[in-house]
Amino acid sequence: MSATAAQRFLQDAAVKSADLVHRQIILHGLESYDAAHLRGRARFQDWEAARQKCQEIKREAINHLDRYLLQFEEKVISRGGHVFWAANAEEARNYVVDIASRCGVRTVVKSKSMVTEEIHLAPALEKAGITVWETDLGEFIVQLRNEPPYHIVTPAMHLNRGQIADLFREKIGAEIDGDDPSKLVTAARLWLRRAFFAAEMGISGANFLVADSGVIAISTNEGNGRLCTSVPRIHVVVTGIEKVIPRLEDLAVLWPVLATSGTGQPITTYSTLIGGPRRPGEPDGPEEFHVVLVDNGRSQLLADAEQREVLHCIRCGACLNICPVYRHIGGHTYGTTYQGPIGSVLTPHLSGIREFQHLSYASSLCGACTSVCPVKINLHHHLLHNRRNATTEGGTKFTERIGFRVWRYAMLHPRIYALAGWLARRGLGAVYGVGLAGSILDPMRVWNRRRSPLPLPSESFRARWRKGLAAN
Amino acid sequence: MRQTENPSRDRILARIRAGLHTPPSESAGTSSGRVIFEPIKNPLQRFQQECAANLTECVLTTDTTASALQLAKILESIPEGEVFVQDDPSLRWLFDVVPSSRAIRWSSQGAPSEASPATVTLAEALIAQTGSVFVTASCGGRGASVVAPCHIVFATIAQLVPDLQTALSSAFKEEKLAHNSFACVISGSSRTADIEKILVQGAHGPRRLVVILQTGT
Repeated sequence: MSATAAQRFLQDAAVKSADLVHRQIILHGLESYDAAHLRGRARFQDWEAARQKCQEIKREAINHLDRYLLQFEEKVISRGGHVFWAANAEEARNYVVDIASRCGVRTVVKSKSMVTEEIHLAPALEKAGITVWETDLGEFIVQLRNEPPYHIVTPAMHLNRGQIADLFREKIGAEIDGDDPSKLVTAARLWLRRAFFAAEMGISGANFLVADSGVIAISTNEGNGRLCTSVPRIHVVVTGIEKVIPRLEDLAVLWPVLATSGTGQPITTYSTLIGGPRRPGEPDGPEEFHVVLVDNGRSQLLADAEQREVLHCIRCGACLNICPVYRHIGGHTYGTTYQGPIGSVLTPHLSGIREFQHLSYASSLCGACTSVCPVKINLHHHLLHNRRNATTEGGTKFTERIGFRVWRYAMLHPRIYALAGWLARRGLGAVYGVGLAGSILDPMRVWNRRRSPLPLPSESFRARWRKGLAAN
Repeated sequence: MRQTENPSRDRILARIRAGLHTPPSESAGTSSGRVIFEPIKNPLQRFQQECAANLTECVLTTDTTASALQLAKILESIPEGEVFVQDDPSLRWLFDVVPSSRAIRWSSQGAPSEASPATVTLAEALIAQTGSVFVTASCGGRGASVVAPCHIVFATIAQLVPDLQTALSSAFKEEKLAHNSFACVISGSSRTADIEKILVQGAHGPRRLVVILQTGT
């Protein structure tokens, strides 16, 4: 199983990194983001203080998770809402499908939620005969293509306007002249408008769960999240247990930091707070309000004090945007719900370290992800922790273990090391000399097959060092 | 309504508590004493700047008559159809000052219709830091600020607060969220940049957000 996921990753990475059209689209999107992100950060008097504050808020929340979740639950129930605790994906799916079946739901509208992707909720609802519409424009586009989201913030980032125009003509019969983005948005608006007003159930995620007020906080720009949570008769929130924060006031810094890191905006267009079903006297809003708190491996990660801070993540996508690996291989290559550095750290915990340990190596360890993380998660160090954990748990190949034993032996025996170095220089020199660099006979094939061969030194480092000492 | 059955609740809580027995690693640094956002010296000026940046139309008026005239002028620019209005004496008064032949649906009559070309509501507060309008369900309900292509907000200068911190602190102290199932900080019209990062206004919500801000009594 491990080899399959890893092999698929390597194959897809090779294809995507050589796809120049794909790279051009991604580069264009990320260059726009880079400029907006820098402008956004400049709006803060002290961006580093903002990051520090966000880290402190999330640290307090995660290290008192039981207390704050119970406080949140009590408030929601007191206002007539329901809170369901799901130990795993199956429990969460079953709960939502049960509500839909009980209430005769035929159509569901969803706003963007990575947790619903993680638990594969939409396929479960469709299996129960329910029509599900993703209503975030990017999510709608990838739904029509039967693809998972490409990016946790911008799900259709890998597509250009021409591809989207063709898709809309083919899948929703939109009569669009040309590929003007405003016309494409209008086509999606008209199509989804019908869905919003036909749906009996709206499903959303939550960016934050506010303990002292018992409300969920959702940050959106399009207004689809607003419609999903206002128009249908039932509103179901599916979210991870780690989303809780202590106080309403904490949003005064979390909202701007999330928006700046996610899109470069000072704040998202709609920063919404919802605490229950419609109250008596309110003219609209759902009659039922359910919050599904999903554990699905998070409490296990909580028990690991070294990596607990991974649960601080606010899913802004900044680490994906800056990652040189993500920029080359794109989101789908990871084959996971959460991509990029945070996905590579988190997925082995949520989905198994044996199957996904290869993601710990999908990094240059440059630390760019850590430098932009708005809650200061030490991402590249956690990739190293995952590598170590995988090795400790025996997840390495037999050949790798032998190789490192030989290396260790050589490092402890200088003459053997010197001999090995001499043999390597001579051997590789012979391979390169007959034009076999990068071929199957080249021990350095992994590096050399797409690059000029590494130049070989004529003498060892130790020999050069001795000469240097003698010269001085 | 039946009680929610929660077979895993106690198990999850037990796992969380067991996990937290191990203390967290040491934290480095503190935000204490550091100023995150530049203090706002002139809230009105900042509000106008931010509105311009987030594409909100901000119209200043001096008194209620001027506000009523501005409202009528904005409504003239909007296509035919029934306008949804929050049922509040101050808004009824504005419509009385400049009578219109346009059909009005008051929030006391129910939610806005899907075909409403515009909605008119009050706000709980205006936020200078982000050029935002803070609304709750009391401001005509949830749909009032998102269903129609144009959302018009009438507010007074006394409602202008400098920053998010002040707005959220007041909302908490005044128990706004205990008395409303919904609240929202709205910062501009509905928008998307999901296609090639090109900004398009009017994704699913209003294409226009207009704030009539009355500076006098």
